[in-house]
Amino acid sequence: MITRTLEYLVPGSTGEAVEMLTPSAGEAKLLAGGTWVVPDMTHGRVRPARVIDLRRAGLSEIREEDGHVVVGATATYSEIVASSLLREKVGLLPIAAAKITGGAQVRNFATAGGSACYAIPSSDAPAWLVALGAKMRLLGASGEREVAAEDFFRGAFRTAARPDEMLTGMAIPTPPAGARFAYHKLKFGESGWPIATAACVLGLDEEGRCRSASLALGAVAETPLRVEVGAVLEGSPVTREVAQEVEEIAHRAVAEPWTDVLADGEYRKSVAGVVAKRVLLAAANGG
Amino acid sequence: MTIEVERAPREAPRRRYVGSRQKKLKGDLFVRGKARYVADIELPGMLHAAVLRSPHAHAHVKSVDVSRALEISDVVAAVSGEDARELTGPVPHFIDPAVFGGKTAEVRCLAVEKVVYAGQPVAAVVAASRNDAEAALDAIAVEYEPLEVGLEPAAGTQGGTLLYEGWEDNTIIHIPFVEGDVEAAFAEAEHTLEDEVRIQRYTTAPIETRGYVADWDTSAESLTFYGACQNPHPLRWVLSHALGLPEGKIRIVAPHVGGGFGLKMHGHPEEALVCMLSRMLERPVRWIEDRRETFLIGGREQTHTFKVAFDDEGRITGLRNNIVANVGALGAPPGWGMAFLTALSFPTGYRIPNQDVQVSIVATNKGPWNASRGYGKEATNLVMERIVDLVAQKLRMAPAEVRRRNFINKDEFPYKTNAGLNIDSGDYHGALDKALAMMGYDDLRAEQERLRAEGRYLGIGLAFELTPEGGDIPGTLVAGFDTTTVKMDPQGKVTVLTGVTTPGGGNETGIAQIVADEVGVSLEDVTVIQGDTGLCPYGFGNYSGRSMLVGGGSAALAARDIREKLAKVAAAMLETEPENLEFGEGVISRRDNPDASLPTETVAYSVLTLAFATAAMVEPTLESTRVYKPDNITHIPDEKGRIQPYPSYSSAVHLAVVEVDAETGVVDLKRFGVVHDCGTIINPTFVEGQMQGAVAMGVGAALSEELIYDDEGNLLTDRFKTYLMPRAGDLPSFEMEHQVTPSPFTLLGAKGAGEAGVGGSQAAVANAVNDALAPLGVTLRQMPLSPPNVLRAIREAAEKGGVS
Amino acid sequence: METKSIVAVRTTINGREHSAEVDSRLLLVEAIRDVFGLKGTHIGCLTGDCGACTVVVDGKIAKSCLMLAASADGREIQTVEGLARDGKLHQIQQSFWDEYGFQCGYCLPGMMFSAKELLETDPRPDEAAIRHALQGNLCRCTGYQKIVQAVSTAADRMSGGTNEEREDDHRDDTPTR
Repeated sequence: MITRTLEYLVPGSTGEAVEMLTPSAGEAKLLAGGTWVVPDMTHGRVRPARVIDLRRAGLSEIREEDGHVVVGATATYSEIVASSLLREKVGLLPIAAAKITGGAQVRNFATAGGSACYAIPSSDAPAWLVALGAKMRLLGASGEREVAAEDFFRGAFRTAARPDEMLTGMAIPTPPAGARFAYHKLKFGESGWPIATAACVLGLDEEGRCRSASLALGAVAETPLRVEVGAVLEGSPVTREVAQEVEEIAHRAVAEPWTDVLADGEYRKSVAGVVAKRVLLAAANGG
Repeated sequence: MTIEVERAPREAPRRRYVGSRQKKLKGDLFVRGKARYVADIELPGMLHAAVLRSPHAHAHVKSVDVSRALEISDVVAAVSGEDARELTGPVPHFIDPAVFGGKTAEVRCLAVEKVVYAGQPVAAVVAASRNDAEAALDAIAVEYEPLEVGLEPAAGTQGGTLLYEGWEDNTIIHIPFVEGDVEAAFAEAEHTLEDEVRIQRYTTAPIETRGYVADWDTSAESLTFYGACQNPHPLRWVLSHALGLPEGKIRIVAPHVGGGFGLKMHGHPEEALVCMLSRMLERPVRWIEDRRETFLIGGREQTHTFKVAFDDEGRITGLRNNIVANVGALGAPPGWGMAFLTALSFPTGYRIPNQDVQVSIVATNKGPWNASRGYGKEATNLVMERIVDLVAQKLRMAPAEVRRRNFINKDEFPYKTNAGLNIDSGDYHGALDKALAMMGYDDLRAEQERLRAEGRYLGIGLAFELTPEGGDIPGTLVAGFDTTTVKMDPQGKVTVLTGVTTPGGGNETGIAQIVADEVGVSLEDVTVIQGDTGLCPYGFGNYSGRSMLVGGGSAALAARDIREKLAKVAAAMLETEPENLEFGEGVISRRDNPDASLPTETVAYSVLTLAFATAAMVEPTLESTRVYKPDNITHIPDEKGRIQPYPSYSSAVHLAVVEVDAETGVVDLKRFGVVHDCGTIINPTFVEGQMQGAVAMGVGAALSEELIYDDEGNLLTDRFKTYLMPRAGDLPSFEMEHQVTPSPFTLLGAKGAGEAGVGGSQAAVANAVNDALAPLGVTLRQMPLSPPNVLRAIREAAEKGGVS
Repeated sequence: METKSIVAVRTTINGREHSAEVDSRLLLVEAIRDVFGLKGTHIGCLTGDCGACTVVVDGKIAKSCLMLAASADGREIQTVEGLARDGKLHQIQQSFWDEYGFQCGYCLPGMMFSAKELLETDPRPDEAAIRHALQGNLCRCTGYQKIVQAVSTAADRMSGGTNEEREDDHRDDTPTR
């Protein structure tokens, strides 16, 4: 049960939301889908005095903006799955969003933006955003700024957003036409949350040689890890041998693996390379 | 003293309903959202309780100060353990270990002086809303003096971490089951092997948590208790003792229960607590368990270290098994007894002439156990089936063949086991053959060969399962009999009041089917009332797969009394003999002249309205209360001092097909089949439902479910995100066939069907995963077979150099 | 103690408008049950995992323990009590009963809503699609098999019936044997 009395506010715009957030920064919680914040309030893990529900703040749009697709901070996973713009331009997101744990009930209301802001190590969205080179748009009393997804995730449950700032959207550079995507998620059964994930974007030339490659691991460390695969991949076709090399690079990239009750760091590190290899092969084979 | 037991029916009624698929009675209530569970009960003036729990697994409670909580405006009461001790007595044990010569400890609803597990209740608050009650818990100040924590049985036996005053060690009881000449069997054995199976702590986790509403009536000085509970009458006895109230002043009502599986057997501290609070405040008080609290109740954590003697032919000649059960703190629920049953049930359905099975049941600073579906017998099946597969592996013999050579033959029943169990009937060879054929076993092996060549790890696992059901534990309110009242009203409609309860299965429908057949009415004309001590005859509720067995049996006996009266009166009205009557659906007619018939309603009406005329030959009441005691239970010890506490023994053969991802340790359950024998089937749909649910539970136990504690004794897996239960997408459709070998010892030939499936499926999956990884030289000993455990075993095997 | 914060909520539940002043701490599921008195929606975990509290919010299924009651303001909600119409069971309700798609009944409302959303988008789902659609719901009694069968039967009845039946997914709930 929620035990602390709270003030519930529904701003009609982002400006209003920032005004509500500013004076009470440390004591306020922003609500997008609420699927993390609300149960954490129920179980006393967070006890905000003020809850700012963003459902009328106009942040659920998914739109194109000079070379980017901007996913609004409160766009739900179901909206991401259904977005024809994303399917056409950033195919990774609809594929990955459909794999969110918790069922349609959760995907209908939970948001990628909210998940990013919660920065739970064993969650999905952070690795996608890093793999896609997303820019996180933050709005605060002192104005708007953009932070690269790679720099946004600072640690377990920690982001670059200041207490008086809110995420308004995620600007994703449109990958080159014909780019290939894959998302691989290792979890323990349908009940399980991510244990190790990998998101991959590949640009291939007509001969199947790799022109550009981006690969990020999720859930294996406090923050998503970008795996430096360019040197191995670029200019070369994606063969089993290359994938094997990527597996080793990914394995080595996990310096301080994340541990939780479902899987310790040793396990996570030992499967990190495997998911990297699999996502790469899946992407090369068309996702 | 001998008691006469009714055996086979004189003349079986024509069965219209028994054996047929019937829909759940009153099922529309459920699909409309109108079925009422305990959390749905609202009483005028009702208050809400919340419980403060110890953050320490082992500590002295130096002081509890509730004064600040009492200052909060919406708080009505706040009580400490000392306060509760003034208002209630100890909670009696469901099964007191002292009855068996073990150690016992007093259990109170709120801890006094000492806590022995993290999560133990130490204080309670009552407020106008649950939010306010929980908020006020923060205002209670408790001073603890932490003590050394013992979470493993080995550590717990040392003096420094003694849980209970006056105990010399933490072992509650040690029980040996020794038979034959084990020394000689091992000395003469052609082969021996030794190994270990470690079973994790896991639990039942019904989707509805526990919950209780107590309503004290000041003017009548009586208590009505609504609870998600499986055993209303025995619970009344417990509350009577704890509260110092005569049983006649307590009424227990179990509304619809959202799953039990043993969790809702009583002895939980909150039962007496809410009653105490209601009596103290003279207002209704409700407490509904939070999911985190549900996970504090454990079960099944055991380590089996065994040695097996066997010959070249695969015949097992000797078994030594040392079982250590970590039952957590000793609670009043019947959990600890599960480990007793684990040892008692060896060697399941196999002929092993020499055995030395010993169980040590040890208390530690984890939460107490409660009963969990399978009641320890699931662990026996898991371990026994691992043993048989290890023998097969060592001899390079087919697992099915080793089973065939060791099974009790179908002409050997009734068969007395080493521990004195008298197995009623069965055809294990037949069930095995059926299972192999159903699953296309030979094709599966061929497929396995093919995939192995591709570097894929397909595994096929067989498991036999024996489930003793319907038990009676002497000296406790765990009874092997039950009572039912059947009444017919003047309109020919039937009400059944029974002592067995349903925690969510369909036994009310099955009982109605039996009664409808016996008295010759339509199923819709039978109403079954359960779970209310104010209405139902004294009974024992739901456990041990007993509800159809003894609830159905006693209902049949009572219904036959009604039928007999109806027959006498109808015979007079139709001018014939009772033997010449045929009971149809709401109609009684002459066999020799079917046109001469009467509506049952007319006959029922006549019993009451023509009591001095046509119906003068019968006592004018259409009501009968009967007890059914199945045969085959013997509490008089045999020449070896053994008792025989179970009337019936259902059996099953399971087969699992898995594929293991050797790079990640992830196990994919691809197919699952089971051939099940629970004797006479009352309703195939409901039997399938029980088995499917139990198999899913066993698969969860095999692969993912585990209650994990940190080093300080705090439970880490306290939600469904970390306690991983199977979901629809984790499971294939289970393939199922029935085999029917009726029990000669039960009225309807039925054997219990409530528990079988958990141990068998767990064993089949465990055998399948081991089979899959055999080429890598892997033997898995630690359950569950979670990806980290599987991957670790693969790595360890690789380090040892692969195949041994 | 802090003074209670009360929020005014106007919402439509099962086609009827409700207005209430609710404690801002209440979850939507608590308000549905305790303020609006609709007890058919169950609480199993309060962590968004079990799905027993599933309802429909603005046409989409939601776990009502993951939403504050205050967030229901201006929204349209359907609970299990709103599935039957004029006393007639919805085909999904009828199928769950006919196929024994529940035992204790506690997870049942959530299962039916997950099935309903699936059949609205995929009228003829295969077994894998049905099992996937139940991902957000836990059942401990059935092993899911008869639930899957119930959804399959409902799909057959809803897409294979007469036009009249298809327009109205409700049927008489006369007990059938």
